[in-house]
Amino acid sequence: MGTLAAGFRLQLRFYRSYPDLLVPLLTAPLYGVVFTLVMRDGHRPDLVGSASLAPFYMSLWWFALFSGGWIIQTDRWEGTLEHLVSAPAAFAAVVLGRISATLLPAGFAFTETWVFARYVLDAPVTIRHWTVFLASFTVTLFAMAATALLMAALFVLARNAVTFSNSASFPFYVLGGILVPVAVLPGWLQPFTRPVFLSWSADLLRAAVAPGPVPHPALGLGAIAVLGVAAGLAGGVVLSHILRRLRTRGELAIT
Amino acid sequence: MSNASVVRHAFRVGARDYSTIFTWKTWLGAWFVRVLAQVAFFALVGRMLGSAERTQYLLVGNAVLLAGMVGMWAVNMVAWERSTGTLPLLAASPTHPAVVLASRGSYLVADATVSAAGALTVAGLLFGVPLPWARLPLALPVLVLVAGSAFCFATFAGGLLLGFRSAQPIVTNVAVVTLMALCGVDVPVDVYPAPVRWVSSVLPVTHGLRAIRLILGPAPAWEPILVQAAWEALVGAGWLAVCLLSFHAIVRRGRRRGTLDHSS
Repeated sequence: MGTLAAGFRLQLRFYRSYPDLLVPLLTAPLYGVVFTLVMRDGHRPDLVGSASLAPFYMSLWWFALFSGGWIIQTDRWEGTLEHLVSAPAAFAAVVLGRISATLLPAGFAFTETWVFARYVLDAPVTIRHWTVFLASFTVTLFAMAATALLMAALFVLARNAVTFSNSASFPFYVLGGILVPVAVLPGWLQPFTRPVFLSWSADLLRAAVAPGPVPHPALGLGAIAVLGVAAGLAGGVVLSHILRRLRTRGELAIT
Repeated sequence: MSNASVVRHAFRVGARDYSTIFTWKTWLGAWFVRVLAQVAFFALVGRMLGSAERTQYLLVGNAVLLAGMVGMWAVNMVAWERSTGTLPLLAASPTHPAVVLASRGSYLVADATVSAAGALTVAGLLFGVPLPWARLPLALPVLVLVAGSAFCFATFAGGLLLGFRSAQPIVTNVAVVTLMALCGVDVPVDVYPAPVRWVSSVLPVTHGLRAIRLILGPAPAWEPILVQAAWEALVGAGWLAVCLLSFHAIVRRGRRRGTLDHSS
């Protein structure tokens, strides 16, 4: 538990020393302005509320991809991975602690997006279904952390991890249905959206601020949880494989 | 060494830089998928709004924005020279550093133009947007102007941010979304109050995008197209002039204080 907390504190120090890691908190309001203007200019005030909340998912994905995803690889580049792996504290606990800390700016991103939408953009974002909202928000943060763990592990193995992470923003925004719901996407694309936890989460968030009942909330919550557990397990397996390979082949110092 | 020779060598260094970032496989399989998804993300909004006209507006706007977005990456170029220790050498050489930076970074303008033109074409086909394909090549020189204009703007910003390494990615990201918001990419500039419209008029992308919308419009009139393209060139030239002046001041201050090679 102490290791987990140390990893958590370490990541917070990174945020203080490298404020550029928090850049989505600056771009989210601007995206909110753009999306809201597009809906108002398109004479669709009914879409303003959900559109103004879409930047939250952009921030969330960014934190999973760049903040969480690069945790192990940056240790490798900095030459600190050897010390971490050889220390008596569990390496996985350090990584989990650091990834847990990425939930803080991700959680703040929602508050920022909602407050900006409600009080600056004057968007109708009143939460009408609190239970669904709180449950989906919680499992979404869990799925984000699990996905970050998987990416952190995969990025060590992938030769083109930098290219992938720089390219994995808008394809996942489309597949996640964060602005345009999955139901509106072309039919051939829709099956590819279901393994992306963002698509279930975005549907639930839109439903939580809309009048009327939330369609199939249990299905959505279950899907996010299952995708999160799957990503977490896969991340754990890849992480232990990496550590075993690095220890047996002595590749730790190879960058 | 003549300027032509410097340009040739700097271009080769830039091409080598670029080849370490992308192979044609990663460019097509990762980068191009990303830029295509960016254009599709906004074009889908037009489809959601049920308007073919708005779909085309968003598709064209966001495709042209790509030229400005890639050009904006030049923010990091000056800092790269400093972190690799070559900035003091550039400052000490008889060739103006701007010649080297422009030649070495020209791959950004080329990439910006190809990314934007490619995304416009493929997204146009995917969404069935009735673009006048025969006139599309006329948009290419304007895309080069947009990318060049953003490149000059970004190099100026990069010089100002030389001592603030953490600020560079912040400025790049915020600037790209600001261009998206203010330059008529997703909504006409007319929706903004006069002071915002004025800011928009001195930013890269705004005039070039107007020219391309006119080229791809139903009845293109050449005079307004040329006027808008000329404005985009003028905006780029203005930022280049500001960039050269600021760079001169930065180098002079760095020489006086001996801080030119200090990393931040």
